[in-house]
Amino acid sequence: MSNLIEELKNSSQLKNLFFRLLVVLIICIALSFLTEAFFTTNNLLNVLRQASLLFLLASGLTLVVLTAGIDLSVGANLGMSACLAALVMTNTGSTLLGFMAGIGCGTLIGFGNGLLVTALRLPSFIATYGMLWILHGITYYFMGGTTLGGFDKSFRFIGTGYLYGIPVPIYIMTIFIIAGSIFTKYSIYGQQVYAVGANPVSARLSGVPVNRRLMLVYVLSGLTAGLASLVFLARLNSAEGDIGETLTLPAIAAVLIGGTSLFGGVGSILGTLIGALILTLVLNGMNILTINGNYQALVTGVIIILSVFLDLFFRKKSNT
Amino acid sequence: MKNHHIVFATAFSLALASTQAIADGEKIAIFTKNQTNPYFQAFRLGSDSAAKQMNASTIHYVPTKPDSIPEQLGEIDDVVVKKPNGIVLIPVDYKAIVPGVKKINDAGIPVVNATDRAESGNFVNWVGADDYSTALAAGQALVKALGGKGNVVIIEGVRGVIGNTNRINGFKKAIEEAPGIKLLASQPGNYQRLQALQVMENLIQTYPKIDGVMAANDAMAGGVIEALEGSNRKSLIVGINGSKEAVEAIKAGKMLASGDAAPFLQGCFSTMSILRSIRNMPVPKEIIFPPMLVEKSTLANYDIAPEKQTCPAWNTIVK
Repeated sequence: MSNLIEELKNSSQLKNLFFRLLVVLIICIALSFLTEAFFTTNNLLNVLRQASLLFLLASGLTLVVLTAGIDLSVGANLGMSACLAALVMTNTGSTLLGFMAGIGCGTLIGFGNGLLVTALRLPSFIATYGMLWILHGITYYFMGGTTLGGFDKSFRFIGTGYLYGIPVPIYIMTIFIIAGSIFTKYSIYGQQVYAVGANPVSARLSGVPVNRRLMLVYVLSGLTAGLASLVFLARLNSAEGDIGETLTLPAIAAVLIGGTSLFGGVGSILGTLIGALILTLVLNGMNILTINGNYQALVTGVIIILSVFLDLFFRKKSNT
Repeated sequence: MKNHHIVFATAFSLALASTQAIADGEKIAIFTKNQTNPYFQAFRLGSDSAAKQMNASTIHYVPTKPDSIPEQLGEIDDVVVKKPNGIVLIPVDYKAIVPGVKKINDAGIPVVNATDRAESGNFVNWVGADDYSTALAAGQALVKALGGKGNVVIIEGVRGVIGNTNRINGFKKAIEEAPGIKLLASQPGNYQRLQALQVMENLIQTYPKIDGVMAANDAMAGGVIEALEGSNRKSLIVGINGSKEAVEAIKAGKMLASGDAAPFLQGCFSTMSILRSIRNMPVPKEIIFPPMLVEKSTLANYDIAPEKQTCPAWNTIVK
């Protein structure tokens, strides 16, 4: 019986994704008609590379949202991890130490968030919002107004390199998608994360270690922010205090546009990829059509609302 | 006995005043927009240097959330109670600051307006650079280096911000002056490095030949450099702010020039202005720095780190 419900749930998730994917296709087809510059190998790789940055940051966040939580500190986490990694690399000259610093910093911050949510029982919004300010404060204090830049070629490869004609960040994104999907769909941990989000009380009653799963998702969200910080750093070739500041809201938007529910229990990593793609396509489209800057904010808002509306509309149609 | 002391102290300070015209120890509150932009960091260092030279001290008020209007207004409420001897104010928003300026005026604290002009209020004077002419000079440098012909794109800052509007108008004026220069696109990058990088990557997809890029600040120029290098394309790039990053990029030949808004000097002369005003020394109603460019030929002037610079004497700039 429970297997049957599980399968139904999975298939409805596939259906949700299908219509969101359709929206992406509609945007792509529309852009192809509007300009020749859109449907070229170069531009499609360009869009994927840009989307990969946002996706990496949003992927761990997806898990948090699946538990009906939120991590508002991902942008600040990325900023601090990037600055720390940059400091370590410029002072020691070691790419490996820089990697460890970035990933370690991100994970530790996630662990801190997890403690605030599980041990202190703070609402995740408050815990991670507080964390955001603490991280900004520390980063601004140490960075002042300075910019650190000029990293080793071998390090920059993860942000700017190509393998067989495809940008490296796209490979990294693909690994994240596969690992994330396997984790959420097929591992017992992933299933329990969904269960915690759907109903924490019944999850606890049926033996799910709720606090440990919550801890896990915040640590993973911190870890992906730390990893993303390295790709950002390699791509931008410089770190400054406010590097992550404008990224939190788009990351949350990517998760939600991708169909993951703020109420928890529903959604997927692949959905987040679609959300990141829609947001990236909007900017790409506006730039290659050179839409006047005065209208860009308006166009962005309309497309986001329209794409989620279309998704709901199609789904209703197919259900009746 | 007590009276004696006071008389003595007055006589002593008068004696000092007659020789140096200095009454030491004023506290000056300095308001800047954020902790993150190197521009304001240089401004704060300039004001610290000026205050030190004139035996005064500074207290810095910076919103913890960058460019937060409510936070800056809150800090003004705070400062009106603490009553420093004078204030140097860079408003986060030239309109929203007006009620804050009124509070300062009502409290009778003298205030200098720096960098962005507040819409109204009583100020000792205004100290700043002219965004329009700085952008014009940077734009003209690019046009000249292109030999007066070629395709150009503009990466804008934040829409609706007056400084950005002036910079874009300055760039566009430089383009209008040169009939051989074609403006392909002008797209917003919100002063953000990452967005400028992505916007430039996108523009590269549409335009096979971009000869020059005008970016409304240096961080975005940095993003443009990375976008071009990532696509094996070459363009001449100008930015604005004269930041350390731009100095390095120009030295390395990755960037043509950066319009220098002279934040360090602005910090120096706004602080000197408020102190001179408190000490009843003459102060001009406006101190506007002429547009300066960081480029290959002027690089030597910019090789000193801001934290090691000291303010030039008052009469080297104000005649």
